[in-house]
Amino acid sequence: MESISRISSMLETVVFTVELPYASFGLCSLVTSTARDLTLEAARDASYARKTSTRQLPQAQLKKLLDSRSERDVQEGLRKVIMMTYREPRSTTLPLFTHVIKNIASPSLEIKKLVYIYLLHHAEAEPDTALLSINTIQKSLSDSNPQIRALALRVMSGIRVPVISQIVSLGIKKGAGDMSPYVRRAAALAIPKCYALDPSTEPQLLEYLSALLGDKQYFVAGAAVSAFLDVCPSRIDLIHPHYRSLVRKLVDMDEWGQLATLRLMMVYARKCFPRRTRRVKKSNTKANSKAATSTKGFYDSESEEESDTQPDHNTEEIPILDPDLELLLKSCAPLLQSRNSAVVIAVVRCYLYLGTLAHIDTAIGPLISLLRSAADIQHIALYNIVQVCLTRPEPFVQYYTHFLVCSTDAPHVWCLKLELLTLIFPYAPQRLQSLILAELSHFSHSGFQDPGLVREAVRAIGRCAQSSVTSPQTSARCLRLLLAHIGSADSRLVAESLEVIRHLIQRDPDAHRTTVVRLAKHLDAATSPQARASIIWLVGEFAGVDPENNIAADVLRILAKGFADEAEAAKLQIMLLAAKVYVHWLNANQPSEVAAPVVELKPSSPKFLEGFEEEGGFRDSHTVGEEKQESKEPEHQHPIPALYSYILLLTRYDTSYDLRDRARLYRALLATPTSAQLASLLLLAPKPVPHTPSPSETRKGYLLGSASLVVGDEGGVGGLKGYEALPEWVKEGEEPDRRLRDEKSSENGREYDAGKVTTAGAMLDMAAAPSRGSSDFGTPPQRGLNGFGSGSRVGANTAPKKEKTLDDWRAARRKKQRLRMKGNETGW
Amino acid sequence: MSAIEALYIFDEHNTLLLEHVYRSRPLEAKVLLPLYLSHSSPRPSLIYLPNTNPSTLVYSIIQDQLLFLSPCSTDTEPLQVLEFLHRVADALEDFLGSPLLASKIETSYDVVAQLLNEMCDGGLVSCTEPNALRDVVEAPSWMNKLLGGVGLPSTTPSSLTPSNSSSFNLSRPQLPRPTSNTLSSVPWRRANVRHTSNELYVDIVETLHITLAPSGRPLSALAHGTIAFTAKVSGIPELLLYLSCPGGIANTIALPVFHPCVRLARWRERPGEFSFVPPDGRFVLAGYEVDLLGGDYLSSFTKESKANSQPRLNIPARATVTTSLGPQGAEFEVKLLLSPRFKNASSSSSASSSSSFPRATGLGTRSGSAFSSAGTTSQPSIDEVVVHVPLPVSVRNVADLRVSRGEATYAPGDVGIEWRISSREVSALMASSHGGSIEATATLRGTVIGTSTDDDSSENPSTSLSMPNPYDYNDDEPTPYQSSELLPKPQDERSLQQHNARKVKMNKVLMPSCATVSFSVKGWLPSGIKVESLNVDQKRSKGLGAGVQPYKGVKYLCVSRRGIEGRC
Repeated sequence: MESISRISSMLETVVFTVELPYASFGLCSLVTSTARDLTLEAARDASYARKTSTRQLPQAQLKKLLDSRSERDVQEGLRKVIMMTYREPRSTTLPLFTHVIKNIASPSLEIKKLVYIYLLHHAEAEPDTALLSINTIQKSLSDSNPQIRALALRVMSGIRVPVISQIVSLGIKKGAGDMSPYVRRAAALAIPKCYALDPSTEPQLLEYLSALLGDKQYFVAGAAVSAFLDVCPSRIDLIHPHYRSLVRKLVDMDEWGQLATLRLMMVYARKCFPRRTRRVKKSNTKANSKAATSTKGFYDSESEEESDTQPDHNTEEIPILDPDLELLLKSCAPLLQSRNSAVVIAVVRCYLYLGTLAHIDTAIGPLISLLRSAADIQHIALYNIVQVCLTRPEPFVQYYTHFLVCSTDAPHVWCLKLELLTLIFPYAPQRLQSLILAELSHFSHSGFQDPGLVREAVRAIGRCAQSSVTSPQTSARCLRLLLAHIGSADSRLVAESLEVIRHLIQRDPDAHRTTVVRLAKHLDAATSPQARASIIWLVGEFAGVDPENNIAADVLRILAKGFADEAEAAKLQIMLLAAKVYVHWLNANQPSEVAAPVVELKPSSPKFLEGFEEEGGFRDSHTVGEEKQESKEPEHQHPIPALYSYILLLTRYDTSYDLRDRARLYRALLATPTSAQLASLLLLAPKPVPHTPSPSETRKGYLLGSASLVVGDEGGVGGLKGYEALPEWVKEGEEPDRRLRDEKSSENGREYDAGKVTTAGAMLDMAAAPSRGSSDFGTPPQRGLNGFGSGSRVGANTAPKKEKTLDDWRAARRKKQRLRMKGNETGW
Repeated sequence: MSAIEALYIFDEHNTLLLEHVYRSRPLEAKVLLPLYLSHSSPRPSLIYLPNTNPSTLVYSIIQDQLLFLSPCSTDTEPLQVLEFLHRVADALEDFLGSPLLASKIETSYDVVAQLLNEMCDGGLVSCTEPNALRDVVEAPSWMNKLLGGVGLPSTTPSSLTPSNSSSFNLSRPQLPRPTSNTLSSVPWRRANVRHTSNELYVDIVETLHITLAPSGRPLSALAHGTIAFTAKVSGIPELLLYLSCPGGIANTIALPVFHPCVRLARWRERPGEFSFVPPDGRFVLAGYEVDLLGGDYLSSFTKESKANSQPRLNIPARATVTTSLGPQGAEFEVKLLLSPRFKNASSSSSASSSSSFPRATGLGTRSGSAFSSAGTTSQPSIDEVVVHVPLPVSVRNVADLRVSRGEATYAPGDVGIEWRISSREVSALMASSHGGSIEATATLRGTVIGTSTDDDSSENPSTSLSMPNPYDYNDDEPTPYQSSELLPKPQDERSLQQHNARKVKMNKVLMPSCATVSFSVKGWLPSGIKVESLNVDQKRSKGLGAGVQPYKGVKYLCVSRRGIEGRC
């Protein structure tokens, strides 16, 4: 959604411009909405304000103001000090510390707030003096005004003085039990700060946190979840009792709480709900599969056995959702219409990694709606859209109009849009395919502002043609589009097109024999050395195909004439071509290393000659003359070796080291006809088919919505610092007992919490002992232990904690299932 | 994990206005700025700086020429940070007044500091709702300056104004503000709102994004709509806003997003009905988009094969570009076409016009009388027409720039030509066209001049061009150039033609490939959406005196910001 200020600016632009004629603005541009900023009033305001605001009082006068008895003076002084803290280095405001702190006991809320702001900024530099203020702040914790209580808690936890961590912890304890939700929220937000101050307070903090997680107020619970993620994201055992209430509160939380909760729930679901799948007949409609999901859970062991016994090709795997997971996915749905783009992405992320295809499909529209936002958000949203599109392109097809590139798009935007077009291309209907191709060729035509766009568009055409789903006709059409570019005056375009054509040809050499011929003809028109080199290389690659009717030798002959005028890149390729042609000739004429066939083959060479002479004006006198000069044995030498040695001769006297070097290599390699086998191994080795994946394939592993996804591999392997990959689904049977999520009634909940608090120390010690040792709490054996361990504490009749055999596991599971069935029968 | 580490604000000259650190020790602003600026413009909103210590992600937005930067040393959710930056900008604008100017921030650092501390607590975003912020932070105002720090319990400026209406029926006695805010039952609305004059305004803004193919056929036509709402009503009002549209709202509005106050269930049940308790003040109620071509446009247009049989879009202004004119192909012409419907004295009613949309099949009956009552839409007129012609980077200069109307500016080195037509000239232009259904046109002509190296580089191709084609492999296509009929011609004429042909080819690279049009039309929406009614549900509202009827206003605006793109 557009932010209100952007919309206001649109509305106001109109108003202003109606009032004032354009002439007065000169060159102001509409796009940046300068018109709005340059209204006379604003300009006057600006000039006036600049003078007054930057005026500064001397320190002595400031101190006087701060020491004054008049609240008004004090406030004025504090204003100045706050201004200085923002504008000046800390050293200018630090001497005022005591003078400012003195006012902390002021009854005026305004003054208090300003002192607090100063304190937050400076406490770290003067920890000892800051401690003096703690008493007063602590007193404010029991103020009658909740706003002051919340403020005091926030400031106390925000002072970065480690000594006070216990006091802060006590303050949080008090705040967590406060009547006002505002204070409770401040307490929740203070927990991470206290933890950062002194990690040893963790056990107490977790205690408060688990109480706050169950808070009834939406914005308290949301803040608690943020704090939880900050302090101990791996302690999912704290979440179990609150899971359902958190999920139900999700819709009513504020956006930031929603974000935190969605992130938490994604990890939680992965660690607590094993992915169960079920094979169903493909012909089954969606309704049927729905029915299957609802009856799942009871019979799934049987159904698995069934599917194991008869692996049928007509079946597909359908994920079966845990009812608790389904609750989460269902309560996410309204958030897809959120005005906050981050929330939308978070929901899509849940759907993508936890839900079914049907879930993803409902999220596509809201994803597209993010493209209406401001340009900065649009850019990030596009990365996420591409990521989803890589896994599920089909539903994006209908939104193709959103991916058409506008001339106003920034490079990083059109890049992603072009990629999206190529991603949906294989799934698009015929007409849309031709529209996309037309679109791409429009941008690939030279003349557009950005050379980068030309390049990307040409590559995009290549990707369209290469896609496995593309029909041969469409592929041919892509190739035609690219071939049309070869004659262009824009050398970059030509080079890029040839590059893509080369890839296309290499993927399917047999179908492109005529294409190579056509390309060779373009040699006359192509001027860019890179393009010429590319064509020559292709001709060389195809020199072995269809030896009866190959143009390679002919092309070489023509190129040999203009060799001196070629650029180095092209010269290198010409030489390579010569070598290849020669090797082919050697291979064809000497099937074995016996000398006899050479004699036998002699008659065949005139046949070649004839062929060439028929096809094109072979041998003008010039070439013949040179050849004679150079080859000393005029009448019987076949033109191909002659050409080869001619090129070698030319390269020997070239100015380029590289070229001479290469020439020496080939000369040595092909010195004796008997080494042809080695040479052909070197020169005619089959080239690997180039694979050009969509540019974003490289980021496919990154989590949707993360910054690593945007930055890509540039951020280092495995993402940026702090990037956490999605945990794998928990294995069947290792998930925590589902009854942990059962909710108690409100009083019971209290009691339960209290009980938990008393046992918390013991429980933590037990559970944390392995988890502390290895930082990853989520490794399967531990999780199993934890789940069952806490389960037994709650009073479940699970198997005792010991080494379990497979049979024990089965027994436990059956029991559970039976229990579940019972639970369902009793209407739960 | 995802935390806001710091916020830096720079003014339009990139001088630091504000540096606010929330947690840890992020890169300092003076270190960060040059690194940010070293990226070439347009800069993406997320830049990764691997070579700093710690390696840093920089998030940036630009609002009212102020640059907001936020560095992050760990992986965060980019959209979360960017949304936060936008919220900060919104809140600052809400408190300091719009537009947001550097001077305004400088004069009220105390307010800004309070806001920043409230919005984000130790790196975790805590509260961004403008109304909730109003409860805890005091906006700078004249009253505030006069009373400055007398120690009175602070009050909002609106409640300080003398309330002369006696019909206020407060449900509870007035409490000191901080206590009362905890009692606010609606998180986005502050408690105890009181206004002397109750007003409600609905502004619907639609931004057009239309791409026209060279043939004039629209490739895509989207209108992005935003409903901005201004509520200045006392108490806790329950509002009902009904939208209507020829063809039905459900078929028109696609992909809506809503302010949290909108009851989603009601919308799903009956699209077009917004039921909500508004925040106090100005906010965006909803956003939506309209595909002006309709969903099955693509499949329909190729079946009919004729371009002119297309349902025509009603575009207020569009531009066409013709390139490669003149003997050397160096000239181009841009034609601006203004729809006669939007002349200042247009008599056509907007309701009937919306029937020309392709989607609006079978609207007919409802459209006529219902909307004409709005009155504001009777004479939509077009304003602020600007045409941008982006030019390739290789263009060195544009010679001979002529326009039939308005004023075109181009300086060598610019990325494009800007052609402005003032509203006075637009109306003159409209008047000169013969009314009726003919579009008013204005033209711009120019000659591009490329870089001077053209002639040197053209030597090589000329030699290769003139080389006769010695062999022929034409199995599937005719010779692409130099067909044999050229050969018998006299040498000089032929070379001249060749020269020109080559020139045309060279100049083709220099041609503009599109032109974009910006404009605004007041009182008209391309989607045809209308506000049917806006009611206060008296039974469910609290705090609004019985019989108080708020003043209601509706405004429609259609904007294109380089959104109409004509390709060639």
